[in-house]
Amino acid sequence: MGGRTGTGMPAVTAAGEVPPAWPSYDPDPFFDEMVGPGGAPRPEAAPLWNLFASLGPQALAERQRAADREIRSIGVTFTVYDGTEGVDRPWPFDIIPRVLPAPVWHDIEIGLVQRLNALNLFIDDVYHDQRAVDAGVVPAALVTGSPNFRPECVGVDPAGGIWAHICGSDLVRDGDGVFYVLEDNLRVPSGMSYLLENRLVAKHVFPELFRHYSVEPVDPFVGRLAGLLASVSPTPGDPTVVVLTPGVYNAAYAEHAFLAQQLGVELVEGGDMAVLDDGCLYVRTIEGLVRVDVVYRRVDDLFLDPEVFRSDSLLGVPGLMRAWRAGRVSLVNAPGAGVADDKGIYAFVPDLIRFFLDEEPLLPNVPTYRCGDPVALRSVLADLGHLVAKPTDGSGGSGIVVGTQATPAELADLADRISADPDRWVAQPVVPLSTAPTLCAGEVAPRHVDLRPFTLMGPEGAYVTRGGLTRVALASGALVVNSSRGGGSKDTWVVDPIADDGRSAPAAGPGAPA
Amino acid sequence: MLLARMAESIYWSGRYLERAESTARIVQVHTDAHMDLPVGEDVGWEPLLAIAGTAGDGDGAHGREGDGSGAVVEHDAVHYVLCAPENPSSVLASLEAARANLRTARPAVPREVWEACHGLWLASSEHRSETSTRDGRVQWLRRVVAGCQGIAGILAGTMSRDEAQSFFAIGRSLERAELTTRVLDARSANLQPHRGDDPYEAVRWMAVLRSLAAYQPFRRAMPARPQGGATLRFLLQDDRFPRAVSACLSDVRSQLKQLPGTEEPADACTTAALLVSAAPVSRLALRGLDEFLERVRLAVVEVHLAIESTYFRPPLARWPAAAPAQ
Repeated sequence: MGGRTGTGMPAVTAAGEVPPAWPSYDPDPFFDEMVGPGGAPRPEAAPLWNLFASLGPQALAERQRAADREIRSIGVTFTVYDGTEGVDRPWPFDIIPRVLPAPVWHDIEIGLVQRLNALNLFIDDVYHDQRAVDAGVVPAALVTGSPNFRPECVGVDPAGGIWAHICGSDLVRDGDGVFYVLEDNLRVPSGMSYLLENRLVAKHVFPELFRHYSVEPVDPFVGRLAGLLASVSPTPGDPTVVVLTPGVYNAAYAEHAFLAQQLGVELVEGGDMAVLDDGCLYVRTIEGLVRVDVVYRRVDDLFLDPEVFRSDSLLGVPGLMRAWRAGRVSLVNAPGAGVADDKGIYAFVPDLIRFFLDEEPLLPNVPTYRCGDPVALRSVLADLGHLVAKPTDGSGGSGIVVGTQATPAELADLADRISADPDRWVAQPVVPLSTAPTLCAGEVAPRHVDLRPFTLMGPEGAYVTRGGLTRVALASGALVVNSSRGGGSKDTWVVDPIADDGRSAPAAGPGAPA
Repeated sequence: MLLARMAESIYWSGRYLERAESTARIVQVHTDAHMDLPVGEDVGWEPLLAIAGTAGDGDGAHGREGDGSGAVVEHDAVHYVLCAPENPSSVLASLEAARANLRTARPAVPREVWEACHGLWLASSEHRSETSTRDGRVQWLRRVVAGCQGIAGILAGTMSRDEAQSFFAIGRSLERAELTTRVLDARSANLQPHRGDDPYEAVRWMAVLRSLAAYQPFRRAMPARPQGGATLRFLLQDDRFPRAVSACLSDVRSQLKQLPGTEEPADACTTAALLVSAAPVSRLALRGLDEFLERVRLAVVEVHLAIESTYFRPPLARWPAAAPAQ
């Protein structure tokens, strides 16, 4: 094995110990993605740890600069608002990857598919027979009373009965290392372009690591997405697919443009399209009108069609809902899918899985107290300082109050608001998010991370991205990972220990698994 | 497949980049020509405003002396044409508009084109105070001209010769044709002889040629001194000089051939080209130039309108509904 030191990996010390990469790195008391209890690297992360042990702080900083240059030159940006016009900022990327062993990922994958399967059955049920409501699995008020319930969708049969084709799940890891689902995003989830571009940057920054690891590729996602979009086309033959964006001033415009380019389809705005007398959707090209079969829409439900929803919306297409209801065009995701990603419904997802699939949920929920339940309300109000309170109809991070980080005055105000309208609130324990080593101002320090994988579901099957977008809160102790609020991101590697056999072994000493 | 909206954005980015470059060059040459004339024989700064398309726009106050004489002061006129915020076709506003259009058209153009245009707009905007002195102005104008030509170069070198590229080229050529007529028009009063022997006639015609980057090509192509008939023939009818009106129109025509459903724009283009090629240039050098140029200008506008109604915004009923996509 000694010959492997020629790869640039450091030698194992005489005692067989792995030299510490960062002597002062201490994630305690959190679960760390790279370092196990006692300070030794987790087996799947050992080669990475060893590389970093061999790189001094200067070399590390140089790699980070290389990554930043790469991000600027390939133009990975996200948009922030400074009052008038959105400004494109380089995407924040931390070079130290997060590593997940394939068996762990495999469990998550089947758990996510199970979950999205049940959610789709639930949405279809909501807009048809409402069996789940009749059986008392979910309260009717949470369904038809939800701001994301769309009466316009009742009775519609999208291809294969699938409403939520693309789900962006937010996963967090507790102090015990168990993955929990924190949120299901079923409306217009974003972030997949960054997942793909992070990998591209990582390959350029650490080419040598990809020789030692067999990292599962992320790019098959694009082909799967293209296949999914084509598979829901209402017409036979080669379908015309478009990506519908709200326009250049939308925060995720760069992603919309990236995806359209990767999929090889047109990026359109509402004004580019029209529904004609034949009830079909057409896009205006220089050659005339071309019929559109599938719209991957990145515009919210309420802006899709001014005839049905907000009449002041210029982002949608008049008549689009008519065309969709008549089955002349497919919308991905279908309107009304958001009824199932409501934070009020979230608490019931494990029950929905049991009801629709007759299976036990494979991925746990974070325990959730529904304030609408008087017993739960009393314990929530008594313990607000240790809980996270979330309005059920908020999306993103809006309206969320973290009890441990709120002032007494804020807590008192929160208690008043919850008491005034308890049905609108849920509360969860503060999850002590796992940490990952992150380069902050030249030092490697533990920072909290979450994980957003994407699940695709169509009539022809499901697919889960290998890994996902790891988001990292860059401020010490911070739990908010959104890039608009100073969050960064990491490449996420799903590595197969079997396929790695021998190749990633250079620094493994006694005690490490083969 | 090219979206109508993309085509329109690309077309306008071509127009605005050309407008920025040409206007910058005109200001530069005007400053030089001014210095060549004896004191008292002012070339006048009004033509600059006329070229910028703002003379007689109802707000005649731009750049005029506050003393009521109506004389246009160099600094104010130049400021107005280059970067006054109230002038929508200033050089800076043109760069900004080109950038905004390219931002929309990003999916259809090479990334470098967008970056170069964004960079040029940013630099020109940040350094706009340079334009207040003649020295600084020279640098500023040079950067604009070089920047615009750089973008055209990137396009020529990296963009597929597809429909998107055709719309960019059409926008640029139509803008050129329009600017050439406007430069001639703005000078026509000065150009046509008021007296029998005007010692500065050649200087004035040279200024016209120079502001269209045409002096050297003219010298190589024409044996004559730069005076009336020869200059007009060169700037209107020469098929090889890229800023001559007929060359611009034949560029447009050959690009239109790459596009679908092109009868109306092509007909309008032919009409304009016939008008120009039939121009009685020797007589026009003496009289009637302004009326003739107005007819040419309108004919060029017709080409624009035909392109707009064919490709960008035809009424829905007029769209030929294609069969469900194959």
